Amino acid sequence: MKQPNAADFSPPTVASPAPPTAPKRDRAQTDPDRWVDEHGDCLFRYALVRVRRREVAEDLVQETLLAAIRSREKFAGQSSERSWLTGILKHKISDYFRKLGRETSFTDLESLADEFSEKFVPEGYWVHVKGPKEWKPESDEVVHRAEFWQTMRHCLDKLPERIANVFMLREMDEVESKEICSMLSISESNLWVMLHRARMALRECLEINWFNREK
Amino acid sequence: MATNTEDSNPRPPDDTSAIQPNGWLQKMLVWIISQATPKCRDVVRILSEQMDHELPVVMRLKLRLHFLACCWCERYMKQLHYMRETACRFPERAGEGGGSALSPEARFRLKHVLNNQ
Repeated sequence: MKQPNAADFSPPTVASPAPPTAPKRDRAQTDPDRWVDEHGDCLFRYALVRVRRREVAEDLVQETLLAAIRSREKFAGQSSERSWLTGILKHKISDYFRKLGRETSFTDLESLADEFSEKFVPEGYWVHVKGPKEWKPESDEVVHRAEFWQTMRHCLDKLPERIANVFMLREMDEVESKEICSMLSISESNLWVMLHRARMALRECLEINWFNREK
Repeated sequence: MATNTEDSNPRPPDDTSAIQPNGWLQKMLVWIISQATPKCRDVVRILSEQMDHELPVVMRLKLRLHFLACCWCERYMKQLHYMRETACRFPERAGEGGGSALSPEARFRLKHVLNNQ
């Protein structure tokens, strides 16, 4: 695995003022190489979590970086280079699912259907000892730890594929519910059921494997 | 949430509900709340829906009332918000903690394609 180095923290070269002629050619030769080295694995891992197939994930990374070459003049450096590239990748992923949604059914109401029935007594209340635990540590301390993101990735991988797709479109690509429904040709009530199951399962997995784990 | 199954469904020590059924008055309050608000199984579904569209005022009030006697549903709501906050940071942090990486061939191919643009 690539270790962080000083270059990770240096300002993006595209942000530096440069004459519009010769240095541009240099940049054209060096930026894509550097993007692959510095951001390639991160983009690839995110794409892989989303599409679960290496070759599709590689294609998405390639499309993302090609789009980045075409639009780099517009990147003014307000955000980090990583956020900029991730933003492009998110669009490419949405396009991918939009295309897939026209070809296959995305409704998945079977997976996880009764998986959580043991959490509730027949009357519908929590089995108290199996109810949600208090999550500690909270927020910022957690999200700065690489292991947390590894656990998150593991938990997302365990979700049934179509349920994971709608969850990540909603919460990571921040696509509005109505848009997801039209993208994937599913009804709003089906989307809610799928999102509910995804949240329930992800919550449970994070609690077992991170917040409530043996330390 | 306390119900007539309370004896067979004991509350663990980390129960932090504002109202706990440890006296006749509290028991009555908890019972009233359990009758006036949706059951936990439905509350968690409604809480998930709330992440995607606004609920009617009456339902929001019922949920507040429910939380007074049920710390588990309240925790569930907080955790849904927490998952939303962290999930949107995931794309930029997906590379952390090891795992699959671009193969050397893919890396070479990418650079080749990109540099020929």
